[in-house]
Order: sequence, then C-alpha cells, then structure tokens
Amino acid sequence: MDFSTIELDEEHLALRDQVRAFAAEYITEEEFEHEHRTGDGFNERVHLAMAERGWIVPRWPVERGGAGLDALGARILDVELGRPGLPWITLDTTRLVLAAVERYASDAIREDVLAGVAAGRVRMCLGYTEPDGGSDIASAKTRATRDGDNWVINGSKIFTTGAHNCQYTFLIARTDPDAPKHKGLTMFLVPLDTPGIEIQGIRTFCGERTNIVYFDDVRISDDYRLGEVNAGWGVLHGPLDVEHGIGGDGAGLADQSATVRRVRQLHRALDAAARWATTPGSDGSRPADDPAVRERIGAVAVQLEAALHTPGAAGRVKCSDAIVAGGAELLDLVGPAGLLSGGTPGAVEGGLFDYTHRYSPGTATYGGTVEVFRNIIAQHDLGLPRADLPGNKAFIARSGS
Amino acid sequence: MDPFELRRQDFSLDEDQEAVREAFATFFAKECPTSVVRAAEPVGFDAALWARLVSLGATSMALPERAGGDDAGVVELSLVAEELGRALAPVPFVEHVVASRLLVAAGAEARLVAAAADGSRILGLALSPLTGPQVVATAAVADAVVGLHDGDLVLLAAPGRRRHLPNQASAPFALVDPAAETRTVVAVPNAAALYERAVREWKVLTAAALIGLTEGALALGVEFVKTRRTLGVVIATLQGVSFPLADVHIGVVGGRQLCRRAAWFLDHEPDTEPALQAVAMAYAAEVATHGVDVAQHVQGGLGFTAEADSSLFYLRAKGWALAGGDPRRDVRRVGESRLRAAGI
Repeated sequence: MDFSTIELDEEHLALRDQVRAFAAEYITEEEFEHEHRTGDGFNERVHLAMAERGWIVPRWPVERGGAGLDALGARILDVELGRPGLPWITLDTTRLVLAAVERYASDAIREDVLAGVAAGRVRMCLGYTEPDGGSDIASAKTRATRDGDNWVINGSKIFTTGAHNCQYTFLIARTDPDAPKHKGLTMFLVPLDTPGIEIQGIRTFCGERTNIVYFDDVRISDDYRLGEVNAGWGVLHGPLDVEHGIGGDGAGLADQSATVRRVRQLHRALDAAARWATTPGSDGSRPADDPAVRERIGAVAVQLEAALHTPGAAGRVKCSDAIVAGGAELLDLVGPAGLLSGGTPGAVEGGLFDYTHRYSPGTATYGGTVEVFRNIIAQHDLGLPRADLPGNKAFIARSGS
Repeated sequence: MDPFELRRQDFSLDEDQEAVREAFATFFAKECPTSVVRAAEPVGFDAALWARLVSLGATSMALPERAGGDDAGVVELSLVAEELGRALAPVPFVEHVVASRLLVAAGAEARLVAAAADGSRILGLALSPLTGPQVVATAAVADAVVGLHDGDLVLLAAPGRRRHLPNQASAPFALVDPAAETRTVVAVPNAAALYERAVREWKVLTAAALIGLTEGALALGVEFVKTRRTLGVVIATLQGVSFPLADVHIGVVGGRQLCRRAAWFLDHEPDTEPALQAVAMAYAAEVATHGVDVAQHVQGGLGFTAEADSSLFYLRAKGWALAGGDPRRDVRRVGESRLRAAGI
C-alpha cells in the first residue's frame, strides 16, 4: 500500500515541464472552440504535434516512433495533458487497437500501420456496435464473405466515434453465420478510404459527433484480417479488457478504472461549484453560507471520491452513477443560471454545469452499458448463474435477418 | 483525491498486512459464528471472545513498542475491523483500540496504558465532546470511557457497571454522565487536537467494520438467490435480483479501498486530505444501509424473519454507524473541506 507523492527525478521533472509547456501552447481557447464546434474529440494539429514528440505511443522506444518513457513518464503525460482537457477520444481508440495490430496483423500491413500510428498519420476507430445490436457486440451481423484473396463486407456499424478522422476501423464481422454466436466472428482492420464505405455523422445531445458507417460491397485484401478466421472474439478481447479497465499498469500508478477519465469532468464541475458557492452575490451573501449548500456539495464530493476509489468493472459503474447523479445535483444547486449555454450573458462558469449534465448520460453507455458491467459483476465477482436467454448461444443465421 | 495529482495508487497489502488480514479472518470465522453473536444479545459482549482476541494481540498491535505494542498502524487495525464486521463480533474492539492509542498519544500513565494493552481494562470512547450525559456505544462494558470534557481529555469511571440501554443493534450502549462519574484528567496541552485525531481513527475503523458487515450480509443474500427458484428459473438469473446485489458489491469494493486509503493517510500524512476519513464513514454508512436491506430483501419474507441471519446484519448496520452521530454531518464536513480546498 502506497499513496505517497511521487518525487520526480530531473528527467521526469524535465518531462513534466515539457508537457506543461506543450499543453499551454496547444490546448488553448482556439482548441476548445474547435472542439465545441466539431465535437470530434480529436484535433489533428494537436495529434500531429504529440506524434512529433513520440507521445502517441509514449512507452515505445524512440526508434519505433515512441518517446521511450517508463510507466511514470506515461502517467505524467496522461495527467498533465488531462488536466487542461486534451481531446482524447480518437487517441484512446487508436491506442486500444494497437495491441491487437501488433499481435495479429499480417506482415503485409503491420509495420506500416504501427509506424503510421506513431507518426500520427494513422488513427483507428472501433467498429463494434451495430444499429440494431447495442452492447451485445458478439451479435454482429455485418458480413464478411471470402472471395479468393479478398473479403467482401456488407453491413453497418454505429457509434464509430472518430471514423471521419481515422484511417482504419477495427471491425468485428460475421464470417460464419452457421457457427455459434462467438465462433463465427473475425476481426479486420478496414481502410476507411475503401470504395463502398460511407460515413455519416451523428450528433449526441452533449455536442459530440459520432458516426454511422455503411459498408456496401466493400472489398479488402485478406492482408487486413487480424487473427484467424472465426477467431475474432479472442482477438477482440485484449482491447475490450483494456477498454473495460480490467488490469492495470503493474506500477501502482494507474487509475482504479478506465472510467476515471470520464469522471474527471465531475471533479472539474465540483471545483466550479465550490467557486460559485463562495462568490458573494449582490447582497454580499454567498451560497456557501447556507449549510444545506455545503452539505449538497459534500454529498457530490463523497460520491466522486467513492467513484475514484472503486476498481475495475465496479468502478466503471460507480463512476458513471456518480457523474450522472452529481451532474444533475450540481445543476439543481446552481439553478436556472446553470442552464445557460456557454457564451450567453449570465452563464455560470462558462456553461460548465449545463455541459456536465449533458455529458454525463453517455458515460453509462460508452464502452458497453453499465448493465453489461453489472452482469459481469454478478457472474464473475458474485458467482451468480447467468440467465439462459435465447440470444446467449443463438446461431445468428437463424435469428432473424 | 485529485484525479490529476501525481501520487501512487497502490492499494495492495504487503505480506505482513496480508498475514494480519488472514489471521483475523480465520479467527473470526472460527470463533464467531452467528450463534455466538446471538448468544451475546442483548448487551453485545462476549467476554471469552474478547479474551481470545486480546491473546492474538489485537489490543496491543497498534500501540508503540515502548507501550508493549507492535507499532502497527491504522491500516492494520482497519484490516482487523473489516473482518470483525464480517462476523458481527460482539467485542468493543474499535473504540478500545482508538481510546488506547489516544491515551498513549496524550502521555497517560504507563499503568493505564498497560491495562488497556492487555485488554484487562476495557476503554470506551465518547464520540462527541461531553457537555452532559451522553449515550456512548460501548459504555455498558467499558471500565473507563475516554472523552473530551471542558477542553480536557478525561477518563470517566462509574462506581459499578453502567446500566445497559437496550437498542436495535444489541450494542453495549449506556449513558455516561461526567457529573456522576469519577473524572480523571489526562493533562496534555493539545487535548482537542488529539481527540479530533482519535475520532478520525474511529471513523475509518468503523467504516471498515461496516464494509465487512455489508460484505457478510451480501454473502448471505448471494447464497440464497443461487438456490431459490421462481417461475421455473433460479432467481439469481433475474436482473431485478442480481443487479441490486451487484450494486452492493460495487459499494463494498469501493468502500474498502476508501477505508484503506483513509487509514494510510492517517498513518503517513494525517494533514493531507483531512476529510477523507469523513468520506469513508459517510460512504460506508450509505453502503451498509443499502447493502443490509438488499441482502435481506432478496430473501423475501424469510429475510425479514428474526431467525434469518441477515436480520443480525440489518439490525447492526445503523447501530454501528450512528454511534458517532448522523452520517450526514460527515457529508457536510466533506463539503466544507472541499470549499476550503477550493482556496476560499
């Protein structure tokens, strides 16, 4: 057990200063304006500047395009870029897929993709969910059919966030409709500039842009297959476990769950609420003079602390519960002025409470709904039997379309 | 916890800590089945269990070596408290060890400390400053109660056993009246600060006990739903049953880590994150209140019967949490600390 402050040696201090200087230069008002306008969770200028410093793959050696950082260096990068609000969606999805590419990509594409990722010119998004499939990604109906040395893909993927800024999608496709659900799937790294692919934007009420991607007779070489045919579920599992926040960095530095990244928004909102509560109004009184206000801020703070301390799959749920409830509670506290959009005269804290409230529901869905995680906890942590539902083992070919 | 602060996040137990946890888990599982818990009602004290716990070193381990202890810290005590909670052990461990450490910190006479270390004289702890008669959670079995009275650290001893006040939790509640008891002042200049520190220790250890209690109740609920059937299926497969249980588990694992981190800060950096112990207490109280209710409810009417062991957990969750007052006061403390941290 150790929660001590990390004393940085000269090398890490220099890195911290370098990252802070980078943040000051690149994560600016202009960048926030771009993010607000596009909702992309990505900014190419920032991404390429990070790549120049080896920070897309910070732990890779310099000769492979990384920065040769150790676990502490990578943590410094994460914290120092996270604090000012680096857009990280596409950076994260790209990193998630990397391990699968390293391990499973064919010789024909592996080095080119890995080098491209490190250089920032190759980004990857997740092609998991289908319009009628939700979190049950093993029920994928998007078909990949073998045709000599090629595959022909037909179907559609939704919530492929970042697809319009990415070069590849990490696609899960059905290759054997007669095999049991999990045994007829294959993973592909599909170049998004292939003819037959159409990317359409979808806006969330938080202002983010995600996508639906249509595949219409999309023909790709077998070189883009990852892993064996019909062994896609196993290929997918590495990235999925990381996305679920299972594991850790082994160095005692990592957040307790992957969703801590998202609950950081509640930390920001709570700081803003503290500023709001201690600012005197026109009559000189402050909201914090009211014990009920102090107690309500305390209640949100207790839930945030609990979320930050809860590990793994449990933390995934707790972080989301905390920000959904806390985002709404802080908005109630601030009142109607909290609803005003950023930039509107009278808006509190630049519209931060409005934004947090709109941001929070997505945290219960991204990367698998909280219900998926409650099922995982029930089965894996509590040892409860799984419901025998028709879809568990269904043969996809016979289950409808 | 500032999620942008560069600190280690290592919640793992070292070999010694794991040995402590395991030894006490084994001890309570063997020596304190629910039959012992029931037999100790209504006072909530088992003298034989107390003696065996003392012989394991539980009352001396977290005292300094010079006072006959092993120099363990709040972290180690929290591991014991969690296991004690899981078994609902009817012993006044938390109050006793916190009061003992407080006496040592205040430089109390060696004789007093030695009698606390060997468990021969049970100490209670008055959890708010004494201004008049106060209900103290373990006073019915405590030989002396430590408290803050008129700004002084005092030891209060009644002429005989204090009268037990029957209560929901079957806890050794009794009234302590500073005007009616023998009052010994432990002269120390910073009594209030030492007392405040002791209350923070109590919060963390009680929170840990509540987390253990909740997990104990959860285990009963989980076992029941694995075998009970309705409409042709095992009820555990219904999400209306499994999800509430999963939520209790989520509270337990997060609450446990909160307790361990709050204990670690008391041992290593007591001035950092000063409200963390209040966070742990407030959250553990919430988790326990919810958890014991879910654990009995998934057992339907059977869970509501006095015969069901889940009733023992349900009835103690509030008694343990409320010994220090309304947990919402801790919530407000956390809010005030957050406002101060914002620099205003």
